[in-house]
Amino acid sequence: MFDNLPILSILCYLPLLGAIPILWMRDPAFIRKYATGVVVVDFLLSLPLWFEFDRDAVGSKIFQFVEGPYEWIPSIGVDYHFGIDGMALLLVLLTTLLGVLAFLSSWSAIHSREKEYYIFMLLLQTGMLGVFMSLDFFLFYVFWEVMLVPMYFLIGIWGGPRKLYAAIKFFLYTLAGSVLMLLGILALYFYNSTGLLGYQGLGHLPTFSVEQFHNIGASIPPDLQFWIFLAFFISFAIKVPMFPFHTWLPDAHVEAPTAGSVILAGVLLKMGTYGFVRFSLPILPDATHQLLPWMAGLSIIGIVYGALVAMAQKDMKKLVAYSSVSHLGFVMLGVFALNGPGLNGGILQMINHGLSTGALFLLVGILYERRHTRMIAEYGGISAVMPVYATIFLIITMSSIGLPALNGFVGEFTILVGAFNRVWWWAVFAALGIVLGAAYMLWLFQRVFFGPLTNPENKNLKDLDKRELLYLMPLVLLCFWIGLYPKPFFRVLDNSVRYVLVRVDPSLATERLAGQPTPTAPVPVPAVGE
Amino acid sequence: MPSPEQMWEFLYLSPEILLCGAGLLLLLWGSVGRGFSNGEASFVSISALVLTGALLVAVHSRLDWGGRLILGGTFVIDGFAFFWKMLILVATILAVLLAYRFVEEGGYRATELYSLILLATAGAMFMASGYTLLTIWIALETMALASYILAGYFKREVRSNEAALKYFILGALSSGILLYGVSLLYGATGTIHLEGLARALSEGGAADNVLVPLGWILLVAGLFFKVAAVPFHIWTPDVYVGAPTPITAWLAVVSKGASFAILVRILYEGLWPVSVDWQWIVALVASASMIWGNLAALTQDNVKRLLAYSSIANAGYVLIGVLAVSKMGLQAVLFYLLAYTFVTLGAFGTVILLERREYAGETAADYAGLAKRSPFLAAMMLLFLLALTGIPLTGGFVGKLYLFAAAIETGWTWVAVIGVITSAISLYYYFRIVVYMYQRDSTVATPIALRSPALVAVIAFCALLTLLLGVVPQPFLKMAEKSLNASRLLQEPAEATQLVP
Repeated sequence: MFDNLPILSILCYLPLLGAIPILWMRDPAFIRKYATGVVVVDFLLSLPLWFEFDRDAVGSKIFQFVEGPYEWIPSIGVDYHFGIDGMALLLVLLTTLLGVLAFLSSWSAIHSREKEYYIFMLLLQTGMLGVFMSLDFFLFYVFWEVMLVPMYFLIGIWGGPRKLYAAIKFFLYTLAGSVLMLLGILALYFYNSTGLLGYQGLGHLPTFSVEQFHNIGASIPPDLQFWIFLAFFISFAIKVPMFPFHTWLPDAHVEAPTAGSVILAGVLLKMGTYGFVRFSLPILPDATHQLLPWMAGLSIIGIVYGALVAMAQKDMKKLVAYSSVSHLGFVMLGVFALNGPGLNGGILQMINHGLSTGALFLLVGILYERRHTRMIAEYGGISAVMPVYATIFLIITMSSIGLPALNGFVGEFTILVGAFNRVWWWAVFAALGIVLGAAYMLWLFQRVFFGPLTNPENKNLKDLDKRELLYLMPLVLLCFWIGLYPKPFFRVLDNSVRYVLVRVDPSLATERLAGQPTPTAPVPVPAVGE
Repeated sequence: MPSPEQMWEFLYLSPEILLCGAGLLLLLWGSVGRGFSNGEASFVSISALVLTGALLVAVHSRLDWGGRLILGGTFVIDGFAFFWKMLILVATILAVLLAYRFVEEGGYRATELYSLILLATAGAMFMASGYTLLTIWIALETMALASYILAGYFKREVRSNEAALKYFILGALSSGILLYGVSLLYGATGTIHLEGLARALSEGGAADNVLVPLGWILLVAGLFFKVAAVPFHIWTPDVYVGAPTPITAWLAVVSKGASFAILVRILYEGLWPVSVDWQWIVALVASASMIWGNLAALTQDNVKRLLAYSSIANAGYVLIGVLAVSKMGLQAVLFYLLAYTFVTLGAFGTVILLERREYAGETAADYAGLAKRSPFLAAMMLLFLLALTGIPLTGGFVGKLYLFAAAIETGWTWVAVIGVITSAISLYYYFRIVVYMYQRDSTVATPIALRSPALVAVIAFCALLTLLLGVVPQPFLKMAEKSLNASRLLQEPAEATQLVP
């Protein structure tokens, strides 16, 4: 269907092109509808990818809808190269879906400088899609950094009282991480071609091709891998965020407007975990194994610490922000279990977290628009006046704490299986995180929705209107879908996960993964360069 | 007395001679009668600069873009010189356009300003071609003397006077140091010719002479002063703030660029045999410039002062390319300075457009609410600041990537690490301006009228090139590569472009 159509480029640049006419528009009401129209079209265009995606492709064929490589800067071997595997496919769909919901939620939340707001939101959309689609490391880096600019403005202009501080902190943190990643990329680049720092290069043509780096991964000397891993780690860990690099996150989340929080939690944080799975693991297998205890340790600290701090929060949004630290700790633990269930669960949990935390931020935003406060103490007994709202909030709460039949359970359970298989007591700590998660979420729910309706200001709260229901329902349905029948998702992920596993741990190459029986032959690894 | 054949060789310098002539003509004519008006003088200057560019192309195409030593080896006409001269001419044309409205509003005499700009530019072009230490020094002084006066052109302004005096005293001191270094080298080796110097240094014996290291260290120190690298940067902030803004822009771009041209020429040709030694010095100076320039900029509230510290930091970045002795490194130097030229001219152009008489539009607070008052100007300034930070899709990013890549390729990883960390820090002070532009409201809400079409055109042109250099850098990279290949820098003797003596 897409044989001759650069569908990925169209998806990626449609928001950017759609942003240009806004420069000449004047009526905010029209801009709002127009911009939402653009992302809706983008979302609809992205749906066929799900059906066209070939789930049986293996090896380097797992990257599909490929465009390029076309020469971009031939002097240093930079190509324009797009393509997605199963993991990227899910993240692309998540991005386009959350984009629509975030735009819809902005209608009532944003009342100043709408023109600029929607331009920045559309640019952000392009940046995020580009990150997940790039198969050239240079191109990836370009999207990764360019995307920071619109996000900075979204927090910094339409944010809360401490927006200036939060916005620059977000930008500085992420930039500091990503420039170190740039050095790591350059080290890979030179090792692949002419060599560096006394390491004899492999003598290949200079390139930033991700697939080429995947193929030479095993031949990189371990001590060089260590340093490159560290450079990548700082960048990705800040983005995820992993403990102790998480301090920018609560500030950014609390100050960002609702749509900004949704995108930040739903998609941006996934770029960090995506980076680990796409780059760190397959390119730097030795360093991954070497640093495994550290990675798992930081993930577990993140799980427990995030949960404990979330419990102490008085501000709902801050609570959800810290819960993200905890949940992303789960994702990282799954990823660094380095086995089929762990990786599958980790990637699926990336999607789950995007859905449930995105929904939580939307829900908190709805309450905030009505009452202009997010303090838990201001509420209580809300379920009496907002029954529909309370129901949806409950479903999402259950999804977030991992109740069976909802998506969180599937992800967390699979991660626990993976972690248990790697080191059994990792799973013990992770299970502790689930208990704590249930505690802070249920306590939040109890304090906000149950009890007597004491605060007179809450007596006249309106329940959800149609637009709000419209943008919440898809998330609720998806939570149930993944919770009840996750197989299609695992099926999409299987070969992508195997592609990573073959490189990071060849002994697992033939392991039987959930959903798909045929094992793949190990990919021949090029000889180690002397 | 040169022979008749040598007299013909002066034709290779005809672009510079034309420019000197135009400068002198302006000066003479301006002192007779009523002199030139602002419009006439800027028209004459721009025509002269364009003609010079045309002549330059003619001269180099006659040489088939190759290299040639002329006038007894005192000057070299090669691709490297051509690149710099074209860059100097384009930058000066843009600076003259920036100066136009400034002179109009400042109420100062026009003719001498343009005349001095032309003379200083001629000096800068001679620098790019100089091939003996003395011709380089004289060219440098031609440029420097003219720029001292230019810095003090606002003679009724205390700050401008202070800038001129400071610049003159410290500049004269550094020229003295440089000349002293030249004399020591001459005493030790008996030559001022770069090729001869290299030969003398590579032969045994010269290395044992204590005058040799002393000589070249003094020489290099003088050059560091000219490019405004730490610890020879003290003059920069005051001069940048005090000088009329178009002159500041010219100093930041042309004066710095030409000084880098001679720095590279001297280090890579004359001092090539001692490259192992000077690499360390350059590495230390580069690191100090990046660290100090960026840290000091953090506390600046005046935009011109902030850009001054940023230019110190940027000198540090360019030095990374100089110390990485590789083709990639030199290519990075050329490309980065090309990008820096347009970014800096654009940023200063925005400052000028905001200035209303005297010095308004200089503090960061003057930028408050700019996004509402003039979305165009704010967007342009945002682009220039992003480019200075090194965010992708701007020329600044590709330039920095090349610089850091060259450092890693040649094993100077720690310098690259300092480079990337300081460029992340630089985001903080560049974005102080962005915060004012986009996130704070101004007390005045009236839209800013873009009154000067020339100025707006310069800003738009610079923005366009900043983007082009970032999105399609390939042709510009090729251009830098070609000009390096048409010179003897970094070439093995066998494959070196043969210079006809």
